[in-house]
Amino acid sequence: MRKARIQFASFFVVICCQFLLLFSLQAETLREYIAIRKEGAGKISIMIDQCKAVGVTESVWAKKMDETINGALHFIGLFNLLPVPLTSMTVSNGTQNTIDIGSTGADVFISGTLSQVSGMVVLGIQVRDVTGKQLLSRRYSGQESNLRQIGLRFSADLVELLTGKRSVFHSKIAFVSNRTGKKEIYQCDFDGQNIRQLTALRSIALTPAFSIDGRYLAWTDYSSGRPDLYIRNMVSNTTVSVKKQGVCISPAWRPGSTECATTLSHEGDQDIYLIRVDGSVDRRLTRTQGIDVSPTFSPDGSKMAFVSTREGSPQIFIQNLDDGEVQRLTYSGNYNTQPAWSPSGDKILFSSLQKNGEINIFEVNTDGSGVMQLTRASGNNEYPSWSPDSSMIVFSSNRQGQRKLYVMNADGSGQRPLLDMEGEEQQPSWSSIR
Amino acid sequence: MKKALTGIVCAVMITLAGCSSKSAVSTSSTPGSSSNGTGAGINPVVYTDKDRESVVVTEQYPVVAKTQDMVTAKGQDPVAITGQEPVAAKNQEPVVAGPVIGDIFFDFNSSALNNEAQEQLKQNAAWMQKHPLTTVTIEGHCDERGTDEYNLALGERRAIVAMDYLVTFGINGQRLTIISYGEEQPFDQGHNEEAWSRNRRNHFISK
Repeated sequence: MRKARIQFASFFVVICCQFLLLFSLQAETLREYIAIRKEGAGKISIMIDQCKAVGVTESVWAKKMDETINGALHFIGLFNLLPVPLTSMTVSNGTQNTIDIGSTGADVFISGTLSQVSGMVVLGIQVRDVTGKQLLSRRYSGQESNLRQIGLRFSADLVELLTGKRSVFHSKIAFVSNRTGKKEIYQCDFDGQNIRQLTALRSIALTPAFSIDGRYLAWTDYSSGRPDLYIRNMVSNTTVSVKKQGVCISPAWRPGSTECATTLSHEGDQDIYLIRVDGSVDRRLTRTQGIDVSPTFSPDGSKMAFVSTREGSPQIFIQNLDDGEVQRLTYSGNYNTQPAWSPSGDKILFSSLQKNGEINIFEVNTDGSGVMQLTRASGNNEYPSWSPDSSMIVFSSNRQGQRKLYVMNADGSGQRPLLDMEGEEQQPSWSSIR
Repeated sequence: MKKALTGIVCAVMITLAGCSSKSAVSTSSTPGSSSNGTGAGINPVVYTDKDRESVVVTEQYPVVAKTQDMVTAKGQDPVAITGQEPVAAKNQEPVVAGPVIGDIFFDFNSSALNNEAQEQLKQNAAWMQKHPLTTVTIEGHCDERGTDEYNLALGERRAIVAMDYLVTFGINGQRLTIISYGEEQPFDQGHNEEAWSRNRRNHFISK
C-alpha cells in the first residue's frame, strides 16, 4: 500500500504540465468548438501522428507513449481514430501542413515529441484542428516509471478539451478475484492494466467499494468466521471493522459525505444503515419487513435506490433520505437486483433474472420509464457499475464459461473483456480516483 | 464368505467414519440423502451419546478386524458396539433423532420451510435434545442463480427460519448460531437444477 501511495503522490507531484501556447486559445473559442462538435452526429475523428524522438532510449519511450495514448483513446470509444498516412505529415520544425489535415478527414490532428531532459521524460504535444489552428500545446514531464501516467495525463486533457468532460483515465476498478484460490479484493486501472491485490485474508472477501474520493475502501469478508464489514483508509492504511450480529454486507458510499450504506441484520431484519468511516452506525434507513440490500445513491446523495422484498419478489425501490418517502422503480420481471445509479444522475442500471434463466443488465430512467436491455444471449451478466463519466459500464459475465469482467458502452455496444487474469472475477466497482 | 466380505466392508466404513474429523460427526456428506438411509449398521456406531467416546470405539476397529468372525458379528449388530437402540425404532416415537443433523432444502428464492424440511428439522431438534451438550451452527446457502449480495441476505433468512423452528421445538436458542454463505460455498459445483436444488440448503454443524 505504501508503494501505491508513493505512485499516487508522484502522479501529482512529478508530472508537471507546462502551458506554453495555450494562451492563444481563447476559452470562448474552445467552448464554441465543443458546442459545434456536440451538435454534429458521429464521433470526432482524431489522427495521432507517431511521437517523434531522437536517440535509442527516447525512441523506446516514444513507442510506449504511442501505445498508451492510442490504447487509452481507443478504449473509451469516444473518438474515431484514423490511421496516419504512410508519409508523415509533420515537417521537421514541428509546424503543420493544414491542407494535408483536411484531406485526411480528421477533425483533430495530434503530434508530439519525446525527449529526455535531466533523466526525465518530456512529452511535448500539439493538438490542431482541421484549419491548423492550435487547440492545445503542452509539455508533460515525469520519471520514466511514470511514462504511462504521462500519456494518460495528456489523454485526459485531450478528452476534457474535446468533450468538456472529465475522462476516466485516472479511475480505478475494484473487484473480487479467486486467482489465488481464495476470493480477495483487487484493483486495476480503467482499462484493466495495473492489477494490484489489495487483500490477502485467505477467506472470502466480497463486494469492494471505493469511496468517492478514493480514500476509503469498504468490503465484506469472512476472516472473523462471519461476514463482517471492513473500511480501510487507503492513505493511512488503517482498517476498522463493523462487527454486528448477523450480516454486514453490500456497502455503497454516499456522495457528498464520508458515510457508507450497508445492510445489517443485528436488529432481526435485514435493513440498510448509514455507517461512518470509524465503523459506527449513524442511522437506520429502512424499516420494512424483508430483505433490504444493495444500496446505491444519486450523485447528490439525496436519494438511495436499493433492493427490497417488501412487496414480495426482489425489486428496486428509491427512497428519499430526508423524508424517507419510497417509490418502487421496477415492475417488469420478478427478480430485479443490483441497482447502480449513474454519476450523471439520470439512469439506473440493474440486473434481472429472466424467465429463460439468464441474468441480464438493464437500464431505466429514475422515474421508471425507458427500460432498456443492455445484455442478452450471453450467459449471466451481473453487477453493473458505471464509469465515473457515465459513458461506460463494467460488469461480470460467464459468457465464455468462467465469470470474468467485461466493459461496454453505456448503450450496451462494444462489449469486451476487461482483464487478462487467471481465475474468476466478479463484483466490479468503478470509482473516480484522481 | 459373503458375510465375511460384508463385515469387512462395514468395518472399513466404520473406521473411515470414525477417523474423520468432528465435522463428520455432525454433517451429512450427501445432501438429499435421508438422514438414516446410509446404512443403519454404521451411523449408530459413530453417533453415540457422547461423540468423543464413539470416536475412541471406532479407532479400535482395525485391531478387532483381525478376527473376521468378530467383525462380522459386530458389523451386523451395531447395538452390541454402542449400546444404543437401533435407529429403526420408528414406530415407538413420533420423532426419532436422526443419526446426524441433516441438511434441509429450499425452493428457489424462498426461505419457507416445506414439509420435508420441517420433518428434518423435527429430527434435528430431537438430535439436539439427545445431545444436550452440543451447540449447532446453521449455515444458510443459496444456489448460484440469484445475485451475490441478495443471496447473502437470503441465506441468512433461511438460517433464521430454521433456528426459529428449532427453538419452537424446545431447543435453547443459546445453543444455536447462524451464518450465511450466500452462494459462496456450493455443495454441488454443477450448473443445473439438480445441483441448484442441492445448494439451496441449510447445513448444520455441531460442536
